Amino acid sequence: MKAFKSRIRHIFAFSWRDLLISVLIFLCATGFCALLHQMADITDGFASPVYVLAVLLISRFTNGYLFGLIAAILGVIGVNYVFTYPYMAFNFTISGYPLTIFTFLVVSLVTSALTTKTKEQDRLRLENEKVKMRADLLRSVSHDIRTPLTSIIGATSAVLENPDLSKAEQQALLTDARDDAQWLIRVVENLLSITRIGNDQAQISKEPEAAEEVLGEAVRKFRKRFPSISVEVHVPEELLLVPMDPILIEQVLANLLENAVFHGETTTHIVLSVQRENDQARFMVQDNGRGIPPQKLHSLFDGALKCDESAPRDGKRNMGLGLSVCMAIVRAHGGTMEAKNTDHGAAFSFCLPLSKEDTRS
Amino acid sequence: MTIREKILVIEDEKSISHFICTVLNNNGYEAMQAQTGEEALSMISSHCPDLIILDLGLPDMDGLDILRNLRSWTSLPVVVVSARSHERDKVAALDLGADDYLTKPFGTDELLARVRTAIRHTRTVSGNDEIARNGTYTVGDLVIDYNKHQVRVRGENVHLTLSEFRIVALLGKYAGKVLTYDFIIKELWGPRASGDNQILRVNMANIRRKIEKNPAEPEYLFTEMGVGYRMAEGN
Repeated sequence: MKAFKSRIRHIFAFSWRDLLISVLIFLCATGFCALLHQMADITDGFASPVYVLAVLLISRFTNGYLFGLIAAILGVIGVNYVFTYPYMAFNFTISGYPLTIFTFLVVSLVTSALTTKTKEQDRLRLENEKVKMRADLLRSVSHDIRTPLTSIIGATSAVLENPDLSKAEQQALLTDARDDAQWLIRVVENLLSITRIGNDQAQISKEPEAAEEVLGEAVRKFRKRFPSISVEVHVPEELLLVPMDPILIEQVLANLLENAVFHGETTTHIVLSVQRENDQARFMVQDNGRGIPPQKLHSLFDGALKCDESAPRDGKRNMGLGLSVCMAIVRAHGGTMEAKNTDHGAAFSFCLPLSKEDTRS
Repeated sequence: MTIREKILVIEDEKSISHFICTVLNNNGYEAMQAQTGEEALSMISSHCPDLIILDLGLPDMDGLDILRNLRSWTSLPVVVVSARSHERDKVAALDLGADDYLTKPFGTDELLARVRTAIRHTRTVSGNDEIARNGTYTVGDLVIDYNKHQVRVRGENVHLTLSEFRIVALLGKYAGKVLTYDFIIKELWGPRASGDNQILRVNMANIRRKIEKNPAEPEYLFTEMGVGYRMAEGN
């Protein structure tokens, strides 16, 4: 019963937007007929096609069957009552009149049906794309997870099953296991960030945060993990408050810093900075590594979620997930992101808008 | 024989509980385990631990409910453990009277630092030995002089406004402990101050520029993202 009711509601969906469209189209048709009637004084014959066109358009541009049917009925009345002799009176005795009614109704029903079907197909196509994207993501993540897990299991069982290993060898194996576990945590946190953004952009809650605090936190954690890499941080003299979800932006910075190490390969020094640029804040991560391969530079951000099957997969050096999460987060903040090569290495930067109109305070 | 501080670890994941207990037992504490909230509550009343490490996600009851229950009759220190993405839980726990928190995953150094701080703050009345003895708090090159209402960095007097001094003084008094935005605002501007922490941010930014060498690489005043601020532990 409930399903039936919801189906009825679906077929006869009502919305103010649709009502407005219908009224507008209908008024246009009526106005046009009135104009023709006044100017050319042609009497019968022209009103029918104009109203049929109106009914067709209304059925096409509204959801469900409701407005199309109403327009059809009103169209019949319009043709018969207003624009057919005798004017301003009903005359149901005109020959072919049932045919007119029939035409109107059929045009309305067929167009509505076609429209509904097209919309349904669009939705299915979108859904398919989403499913495919999710599959790609899962494949990429599974790979990202499997490699370090293999190494953790290998290293720990090596220690457990070989009691004769020297202290130094044990230490080395366990250090590897810990590093890989840390990598896994990052992967998982990236996934959590994706769920935090959700599907629609309105979900992230932005609060004005001090950019220097977010930078400071990201750097502090990074130093703990990579003590051998020197990091320089620059913040403006004046406090810069940027509307953001600080946990997510910290994640972006962490990903970019980590990429600088893993993909820069020869990176020993990173410069992290934030500055004000008109009505936005630009965050920048520059490294002195080997830079971004030029053939990858232009396609770095498009389809980052795609798992590149053809490229040789060198273990965990998969840039896909980290960068695509960065992109998703920055986009959800209404910001932009770019990458380029400098004289010394790679430079990734992203801008967040400073405007507060979409920030609840 | 030395008396070792008893720590109750309330955690349902056996492997995490095992790792925490091993670390604690090897660092001069006596660790006990409880897997459920029910078990924990009965162990607290029978064993009287000196500190509790509480995971907020327990199978049988909400960690926050345990905390609420505890705080109705004891002020014994509680360090809560929670996952990264749950800042709201952390803030709620701190506002309910938890002493500190650990974010999963955490290392042994972090665990021991939190435990040390939480135990120390319950042992002395003012929460800080040095302040009670000479009215100053020292960490690195930073000295907070509570008698003279002064803050000195490398021997130089730092000119702070009254609000700025009060923030630094408050953080120094609870050094090592995280203080939530709400707590600091209420301590400074009274219980009816607005929940807006913008003023606090601006004050903190000014303090950092006066005290720290680089405001984005603080040595003394740390930010706990989405939660509050923490002063570095003294020497």
